[in-house]
Amino acid sequence: MSNDFYTSKILPYAAIIIKICRAYTNSKEDFEDYYQEVCLQIWRSHHNFKEASEWSTWVYRITLNVCLTLLKKKKNNKQHFASDYAPPEFAQDSHAFEDEQLNQLYDAIRQLSEIDRGVIMLYLEEKSYQEIAEIIGTNPNNIGVRIRRIKARLKNILDKKNGEFN
Amino acid sequence: MENSIEIIWKNGFLKDSALVAPKLNNLYNQKSKHIIDKFQRMFKMNLILIVLGSFIVLVASFIVGLPYTGVPMFVGMNVLVFLNKKLLNSLKLVDKCKNTYDYLKAFDSWLKFQVNTNKKFARFFYPFVFLSMITGFWMKKSGDQNIGHLAVKKILLTYPDLQLVGGVPVVGVLGVLLIVGILALLAGRIYEWDLKIIYGRIFKKFDELLADIKELRA
Repeated sequence: MSNDFYTSKILPYAAIIIKICRAYTNSKEDFEDYYQEVCLQIWRSHHNFKEASEWSTWVYRITLNVCLTLLKKKKNNKQHFASDYAPPEFAQDSHAFEDEQLNQLYDAIRQLSEIDRGVIMLYLEEKSYQEIAEIIGTNPNNIGVRIRRIKARLKNILDKKNGEFN
Repeated sequence: MENSIEIIWKNGFLKDSALVAPKLNNLYNQKSKHIIDKFQRMFKMNLILIVLGSFIVLVASFIVGLPYTGVPMFVGMNVLVFLNKKLLNSLKLVDKCKNTYDYLKAFDSWLKFQVNTNKKFARFFYPFVFLSMITGFWMKKSGDQNIGHLAVKKILLTYPDLQLVGGVPVVGVLGVLLIVGILALLAGRIYEWDLKIIYGRIFKKFDELLADIKELRA
């Protein structure tokens, strides 16, 4: 991967890649592995980009796919949890942000199902329902309902934690 | 204080420096280390299994009355292990402090040398295994006599004019020699096929990794 490619094609989207990777990892080491793997996959597969969608959509899609694949591998290797939902003890981040509320939100997001994590990340990044549906590969009509359900679940988790959040 | 998740999200990243992308300098270090370590573990495990297998073959051969098969196979398998253990020890001489590309190249050279050495050894090993099996069955006792001698006697009843060399039909000797020749010729391919079954996936990953790094350096 040349510096040019990284600077022009990946770095502008580094923030969202970082945010998504953080939602699927709970240690600095894992996060760095995921981030690097995402960058590699973007570089490896950029020849397949057909310009049928935005480059950013392509980047988000690869980021989510890589995170889901790596998480699946990790689950298979360690058999962390059988269900789709992570128990709270696995949602704690040893590599926390400075903002405590943001940490709590991330911990809550990590307790969501893998796909829901992707959906809420894209929603929080202000992607339209159409874009989210395109990235996730689902029907845009379901996205609104799904986001409402995810937000309710997040609120529930956060309320349980400290009863302060809406 | 009441904040919606959207506000927490926005504010959280405004005052945070955690969105600095990690450096990609060490991109391949962990991957290479992981692949090579995995190969070494598999290789060691394979050698242990061959040693265990050789003892099982040895014991089983005495139980079923085929010691002329079991003993040579035991020796052959352990020579194979000895040879590969020596090859594995030479891998430890590869300098791990080299950069990832040089380390992978050194490992690749070692791997090629290892495969070539084993291919050469296979030219003797496979025919040797075949011959030990033939010998074992030939020498297996049935009553007072060997199965081989009994078989020749029976064949001679049907084909009394059959030519013998040292008590063995010439046709049989030629057949065995033909198979030995074919095995020696195809040994390299058989070994590669065997290798592909056990290490195929890891070799593929290794080749991809090396190709990626080559491209990165280009």
